[in-house]
Amino acid sequence: MKLRILLADDHEIVRRGLRALLEKHEGWEVCGEASDGREAIEKALQLKPDVVIVDIGMPSLNGLDATRQLLQHDPQFKIIVLTITDSDQVIREALDAGARGFVLKSDAARDLVSAVEALQNRRMFFTPRVNDLVLAGFLEKGQTPSRDQAPKLPTLTAREREITQLLAEGNSSKEVASLLNLSTKTVETHRSNIMRKLSFHSIRDLVVYAIKNNLIQIEMPSGPKSPTGPTAA
Amino acid sequence: MTIRILLVDDHPIVRQGLKTILEGHVDWEIVGEASDGAEAVAKAQQLHPDVMVLDVTMPTMNGLEACRLLRRQLPHLEILFVTQHDSPQMMREALDAGARGYVVKSNAARDLLEGVEAVSQHRIFTAMNGKNVV
Repeated sequence: MKLRILLADDHEIVRRGLRALLEKHEGWEVCGEASDGREAIEKALQLKPDVVIVDIGMPSLNGLDATRQLLQHDPQFKIIVLTITDSDQVIREALDAGARGFVLKSDAARDLVSAVEALQNRRMFFTPRVNDLVLAGFLEKGQTPSRDQAPKLPTLTAREREITQLLAEGNSSKEVASLLNLSTKTVETHRSNIMRKLSFHSIRDLVVYAIKNNLIQIEMPSGPKSPTGPTAA
Repeated sequence: MTIRILLVDDHPIVRQGLKTILEGHVDWEIVGEASDGAEAVAKAQQLHPDVMVLDVTMPTMNGLEACRLLRRQLPHLEILFVTQHDSPQMMREALDAGARGYVVKSNAARDLLEGVEAVSQHRIFTAMNGKNVV
């Protein structure tokens, strides 16, 4: 029986590249594609793939929150996150979210097949930096590295994170309500709770928070003087 | 008409995605690939492609610098930028650098074939937000 893979990335060109790469492997098939986290959840629940590959930076619902929500639905989902950065924070969030694989987008051509194979064999797959970070945590007498020293931020619920992303993407409360099948009043209540929890007074604060916490990602500055450096595909 | 294409992007997975689109055109041939501007210049000098599909943001030498250099060295080479920058300023800079076309990456699946065809016939092709603006 073929291994069925669901692909979620907001760039069609990247999905095409990933599909071509994965389908070269005998016995694997890409059973579906999604272009944001919400669609990824919908298709995963519908198609029941063996492996789900999700990009972190997607509109509407990012890949990490999609991972959390999918695993709440069914902890058996095997999820690989694709990321443009392996910063400590993103690594921690991916591990926290329950991803079993972590692949840098720039290395996907080399690592993704190995990652899917690992998950197929009930193992996990991480980049060397993830392994270093986890090892550092063990060496610090079993403590999770630096998290315990980090200032505690108020925790948002999954629903509040979801609404924060949509508001930070520029949706009005009414639009968020429509997207999530909630009443505008319920969204307004969540919005007030979010602002109160985080001690924010403006949507600008919320946008900055969403960027800092990888709920949304901003593109490289598109000015003509700054075309160099690493970037999202 | 056979069009010989050199494909330049620093992400292998994006090159693979672009290839799947270009290979749909039976007469077109991808003669080479490069992952930064310097490699693009070297391969263009060696392979003499008709069209270069070129990313803007790359390490070592970015696409704009490569384009300016190649414009002088290989005046018959046509360059089509495929970039994430959905910005009129960047498009202007790309055309000023000597490119004949500009396609935004998020729309590449739709615009790439038309873009390559146009620039191969020495026509300007610029598509932003899915609309041909020139």
